[in-house]
Amino acid sequence: MLKRIFLGLVVAWGLGACGGGGETPPQESALKVGYVVNYMSHEWYQNICQAARDRAAEVGVELVIADANQNVGDQISKAENFMVQGVDVLVLTPVDAKALGPIVQQAKEAGIQVITEANPVPGSATYVGIDNEAAGYKAGEWFAQQIKTRGLEARILVIGLPNFEDCRQRVDGFKAALEASGVDYQIVQEVDGQGLKEKAFKVAQDALTAHPDINVIYGINDDSTTGGMAAYKAAGLDESQLTAIGFGFEGAVGRSALLGATPYKAALAMFPNFVGVSLVDAAVALAQGKTLPAHYETPTIVVTEDNFPTYYTKEGDDYAMNFAAIRKLMP
Amino acid sequence: MKGLLHRLLHAEQAGLLIAFILLCIIMTILSPVFLSAVNIKNVLRDAALVGIAGIGLVMIILQGEIDLSVGSSQAVVGIAAVSLLNYSDSILVSLGGALILGAVIGLVNGLLVTRARINSLIATLGMMAILRGVAMVSTQAVSIQAQVDGFIEAGTGHWGPVPIPVLIMLVLFAAFYYLLHHTPLGRYIYAIGGNTEAARLAGLAVDRTKIAVFAMGGLLAGLSAFILASRLNSGQPNAGLGFELQVIAAVVLGGISLTGGVGTLIGAFIGILILTVLNNGLVLLNVSSFYHDIARGLVIILAVYLDSRRKQSLVRRLLQG
Repeated sequence: MLKRIFLGLVVAWGLGACGGGGETPPQESALKVGYVVNYMSHEWYQNICQAARDRAAEVGVELVIADANQNVGDQISKAENFMVQGVDVLVLTPVDAKALGPIVQQAKEAGIQVITEANPVPGSATYVGIDNEAAGYKAGEWFAQQIKTRGLEARILVIGLPNFEDCRQRVDGFKAALEASGVDYQIVQEVDGQGLKEKAFKVAQDALTAHPDINVIYGINDDSTTGGMAAYKAAGLDESQLTAIGFGFEGAVGRSALLGATPYKAALAMFPNFVGVSLVDAAVALAQGKTLPAHYETPTIVVTEDNFPTYYTKEGDDYAMNFAAIRKLMP
Repeated sequence: MKGLLHRLLHAEQAGLLIAFILLCIIMTILSPVFLSAVNIKNVLRDAALVGIAGIGLVMIILQGEIDLSVGSSQAVVGIAAVSLLNYSDSILVSLGGALILGAVIGLVNGLLVTRARINSLIATLGMMAILRGVAMVSTQAVSIQAQVDGFIEAGTGHWGPVPIPVLIMLVLFAAFYYLLHHTPLGRYIYAIGGNTEAARLAGLAVDRTKIAVFAMGGLLAGLSAFILASRLNSGQPNAGLGFELQVIAAVVLGGISLTGGVGTLIGAFIGILILTVLNNGLVLLNVSSFYHDIARGLVIILAVYLDSRRKQSLVRRLLQG
């Protein structure tokens, strides 16, 4: 009996994993967009998907979303499913950009336009996303200004995720801005926090042991930065000496760090919800026959306590993004 | 003193111990802070998380089974602990909830293996996926911050100069050493892992023992999840990714045979220390993370090689003598 229940669970689980899609009721002659996201479990993509759904409802686009769950094979088969279902525009957040060339080609041959998010894939109409290097550069410029005005002797710990091109660019841009500003600084160590708070804490703890004079933490996402901050605190170092800079600023982790009295002084905000809005907007523009630039760049800005209220409004226990203000930042 | 040294050198774990000491000497030469009190504390604190969950895994592997769900259980139990904490305002309630949930997960694993007769590799692989999914669904992939002061103490606080998690680990190692080597249950575990059928024919309550061991393993994993959550002051849905492999690699490195019945808790402890020191040292030395995996692999192979060579020579000597 137990075995049968277990088998039932396995089958149900398998079906669930293969399912997805088909969330919106079909509408007559509406523009139909299929989006295969790479990793729905991540907060970042939840925000993108939610905002894309809201935007689609607002402008009368039929949007279906499926999750590749970090499996490129799944991504391709789900994209094929959407093509069979007759979507007009296919949106992909590539699990692996190099593996998607053939499916993009196939879609084009079937007369379906392809938009990618985050990374470009040859043959797609455009890719929507931030410019990671330029964003890192903005964070670097902000910090160079801090060094100048505060007379800081910056000894920097970088908590990166070097496996990923995007994350390497965030660090490269940051360094380039510091270099260009001509200020004195020292990058004491670069560690791999794997983008996870738990891992960032561990490696930062060891780096701080080797270099207890570190007074700046730059992380490639909010978990990296806050993990580093937690290690700094656990090491018994004086938090008032620390300046922490976040990247992403997509959720409650970054917000509570910035608004609370913590060393987290600034973050490069990537506005994931606005990326979701832009995906739908780009699809609509394509359907109207407009030509889009190869990179449909979405806005980023360094957020501090001072300019936070410009871009976020408190709504109950949560904060909403001010899309109008963010739209003004469009490059 | 001489007798002690002699016993140490001829103990089952001597090869491992030598590998560990060698590693420490190399790190001491290369990094001036390696032997500092702060760093030793850090290493032991990292080892504590792997160690506490590792005790459970040692017992499970000794009886010829495996548990792959300990990593995902770090996430689910951590989230449950922080949610309970925020709801009840009580650290004790949170700890109790974490231990109970951990034990229940282990109990279900045990029942799947003994009653439903599912291979433990498959049963706990399924459990691993289910728990990770539950962690994601229950939080929508967003971490939960702890809102009670003092919670962070359990994971980062000290008792005198000793970090609390390290103290917990040492007490547990002593207690479970006693259990494994000086109680009937310990002997049953070795007997079942050595030869399950023989143990069954000898009248041992094989299934009941297995269930109890899985539940204990789950409880210990729950405890390490509680400490991790406290250390991060939050419940993280992606906590413990790959943790199960880290623990299994460490205890197998420590001489616990995956086929069951062979190995000791002391060996496992040294195995855990070796891998922790290595991870710590590579960051201290500012080695690019791309090399970490290579170094880990090399050390595992080298340590096990040293150990097996020493055992072979011991066998030769016994045969000759």
